[in-house]
Amino acid sequence: MPRPRLGPAAFFLMPALFLIAVFYIAPLMLSIYIGFTPLRDWNLHRYLGSVTTYNYERLLHLLLHDPDVGKIIRTTIVFVSLTLLVNVLGGLALALAAFLMEESISLPTRLAWMLPRMTPIAVYSLIWYYFFLGDRTGTLNSILLRLGVIDKPVDWGTNPALLPYSDWAILVLVNGLVGVSFGMVVFYSALRSIPREHIIAARVDGASTWQLVRHILVPQLRWHLVYVTIWQLLSLVTTYAHIFLLVEWGALDRWWGSTWALYVFNTAFSTGDQGLAAAASTLLVALGVVLGLAALRLLGFQRMMQEPRGEI
Amino acid sequence: MAQRTGLIAAAVVIIVIIAIAAAITLQRGGKPAATTTAPPATAATTTTAAASSPAATAGQAKPSKPTLTGNIEEDIVAIGRYLAAQGIHKATFTVWGAGDPNSVMRTLAVAEAAYRLNKILEKNGVDFRIEVKQNFRRGGGDKLAEDFAAAFQSNANPDIMANSYKHIARFAEQGYLLDITPYLEKYKSLLGDFYPSLLAAVQYKGRYYGLPQDTEARPLYWRTDVAACIKEKTGNDILAGLAEKIERGEVTWHDIYRYAKLAVESGCSKWGVLHRKGSAHPDLIQFIYAFGGRLYDPEKNMLVLDVPAVYKWLYVEWRMARDHLLPEDMMSWDWAKQIHPAVVSGQTLVWIGGTWHWTEWQTKPYYLDPKTGEKRPLTTEEVKKYFYYTLFAAGDPGDKPVTLSQPFVWMIASNAGKDNPRYSELKDVYHMLAFLLVVKADDPDLVAIHSIISAHLPVRKAAAELIADKAWVEKLAKLQVDLSPEVKNSIADIVKATVNDINVAFLANASNMLKYTHLTPMHPDYPRLADIFASAVDKVLRGEMTPEEAVNYIISKIKADPELSKTVEIVGEIPRDWSFP
Repeated sequence: MPRPRLGPAAFFLMPALFLIAVFYIAPLMLSIYIGFTPLRDWNLHRYLGSVTTYNYERLLHLLLHDPDVGKIIRTTIVFVSLTLLVNVLGGLALALAAFLMEESISLPTRLAWMLPRMTPIAVYSLIWYYFFLGDRTGTLNSILLRLGVIDKPVDWGTNPALLPYSDWAILVLVNGLVGVSFGMVVFYSALRSIPREHIIAARVDGASTWQLVRHILVPQLRWHLVYVTIWQLLSLVTTYAHIFLLVEWGALDRWWGSTWALYVFNTAFSTGDQGLAAAASTLLVALGVVLGLAALRLLGFQRMMQEPRGEI
Repeated sequence: MAQRTGLIAAAVVIIVIIAIAAAITLQRGGKPAATTTAPPATAATTTTAAASSPAATAGQAKPSKPTLTGNIEEDIVAIGRYLAAQGIHKATFTVWGAGDPNSVMRTLAVAEAAYRLNKILEKNGVDFRIEVKQNFRRGGGDKLAEDFAAAFQSNANPDIMANSYKHIARFAEQGYLLDITPYLEKYKSLLGDFYPSLLAAVQYKGRYYGLPQDTEARPLYWRTDVAACIKEKTGNDILAGLAEKIERGEVTWHDIYRYAKLAVESGCSKWGVLHRKGSAHPDLIQFIYAFGGRLYDPEKNMLVLDVPAVYKWLYVEWRMARDHLLPEDMMSWDWAKQIHPAVVSGQTLVWIGGTWHWTEWQTKPYYLDPKTGEKRPLTTEEVKKYFYYTLFAAGDPGDKPVTLSQPFVWMIASNAGKDNPRYSELKDVYHMLAFLLVVKADDPDLVAIHSIISAHLPVRKAAAELIADKAWVEKLAKLQVDLSPEVKNSIADIVKATVNDINVAFLANASNMLKYTHLTPMHPDYPRLADIFASAVDKVLRGEMTPEEAVNYIISKIKADPELSKTVEIVGEIPRDWSFP
């Protein structure tokens, strides 16, 4: 087998590498550098020259002593892990359901699940804000009051008696509904590419739907599961847009409802403390890399990348 | 293997190129002209050099660089002549402002100032004009401030900005603002016309970094119909001489607690007290001052956590929430769906609000009309009928009533005039020009117009006199005042909706509250401390913490942040012999 020539490969990869360098690597390096400067109030010219580890010392101090930072970390862990489960398993369930149902029902079903992703973030968040609003006019309160389930309105996202579980549930629900469609699309397209003969043969052999799913369909989705899991994991670690609005509008407790990514955003853009925010985001990047690599290893990425043993 | 090494090598080369390019850009890129001696864009220099040559060849004696005299006509003419002699016949300035829809004068006033200065120049035959580009945004000024700071890095910031005084400390620290102290030494007579308490809002470390633009007070609004109901059911005439009693310190928060209880227990209103949501800054901070506390030590330039006053404030909130006089979830109520509708429909006896709410209730449809079932604004007459207003009452007997202002101020960027020709050479002249624009934007009639149409309080005594002048207000209502056509057109609709006797009388009365006003600290770290207060209030209202636990929470938050622990002094202890109500 002739060895591929390096020149053409590098030539064709150059545009992609260039974009990655400009839009991913350079900002990342800059962010890491800023984390080592006392940058605040965007005063690049004044602070960018001084290098210090003060932000990391301060961050460590906050981690150890601030009663609210601990809440953010716990929320981040719960939010990422539970939403990941919803996104992957929910996406798989939806894809299987859509695959097994009549096409005339399947298409509108898939479309309906895509709506949260297609809705602008502010509009989608506003819907949930009013849904969980703590007075009679809140949608959920209004329904439950009419049904007689509750006798006075409940402030769902901020009531100390319900915290932190209510906030965690809202976070997982809101973000899960957005993220689940991604898995659904990927898994559904993968299912559609499975040769019909496999399914027909299984049916002819008398396989039930469960057996079909368990032994024919899911095994063929293995690498798609790896891909969706890792993709969603890394997305969830850094996601904050919907959460930001819900916390900003007071629908969620500002600490139990905040993730580390939101903490980074607020530190940079609300308190003007960009050096500290960059240090906090560097930790987030490091966490993302560790989690990503761990997931690749655990899910057997190496085997997926091996060349097939047989002739194709 | 070689393949992979090659790819890695290609990637490394690209990264290195990018890093070098970024480093070069950062070294060169848009350093603020005010902090550097490097000349601005070459193109501008070349253009003006060419433009200036005819003047030079004409052999006319160029006037020397002007200095300010304190007479605005003389000053603008001198500056105009000087720049014209340099071959510069037009200067452009940009102004940014933000606020409620009625606060458009926060940028229009500078455009009007340019119009007025141009008229002076024209009258004196000076071939020089000022052009103003304005950008007014609806909403709060905090976002505007962040945009200002970010834009400063690439010289894309405005030359003048109308924003809250609270940004002065941090921006002055960063060198973003022009120190106008030397200019104001020449304009001392102007300074004398501003209310003295407001001048503190434009000073940082003894230097002036702006001029007041507007201000406001934060009164207690009392529902007259709820008070009448209490009188009918219990015989207590709450409102009898209340404003005067509060002013004399005879009615304190102990009494307000009792009144609130009467209102709720007699079924006259659902709540006793409602207040604004979200950040505790600045409304609720009034409690600290009302309980005789302080927030700042100017001698040490340190913020102060006054433990006894903060404890009493949190206790009042906690007690009222426990007794269902104040909603537990007040800090997360929705403005349009909960707060304002509850206030305008009489669901509370007391509302801790701001002067601007007086006209906001007249323009926003918060009120559900029981006759039509439709939402509509209250009429001016209805607002007058239903709302009685007083100062924010003293905390304990012996304390004094207060109010709190968060003035908007004109700030001039330290690189003001940067977009004009030969900036590095003439920047001090452009700075003076920007200063004169701001001085003119504070003309008494412009301040008065802004105050009336937006229900903000005037910052100058001369403007307050105009507001009290019925004939002038009538002229304003018909727009028969001396304004540029552009400004007249822009404010015509707002003037029609807001200029009336009731609103003018309200402004005049509310202006008297400025004698009692306090400002929150002019310290770069104050917003951080105020943010912690907001969390603490939320926790005591919801019953998550007792007042004592909340004070300890505030202390732990301060100590957890090395920055704050350096700048906040914790004084006093939780009072053990104090009781409320």
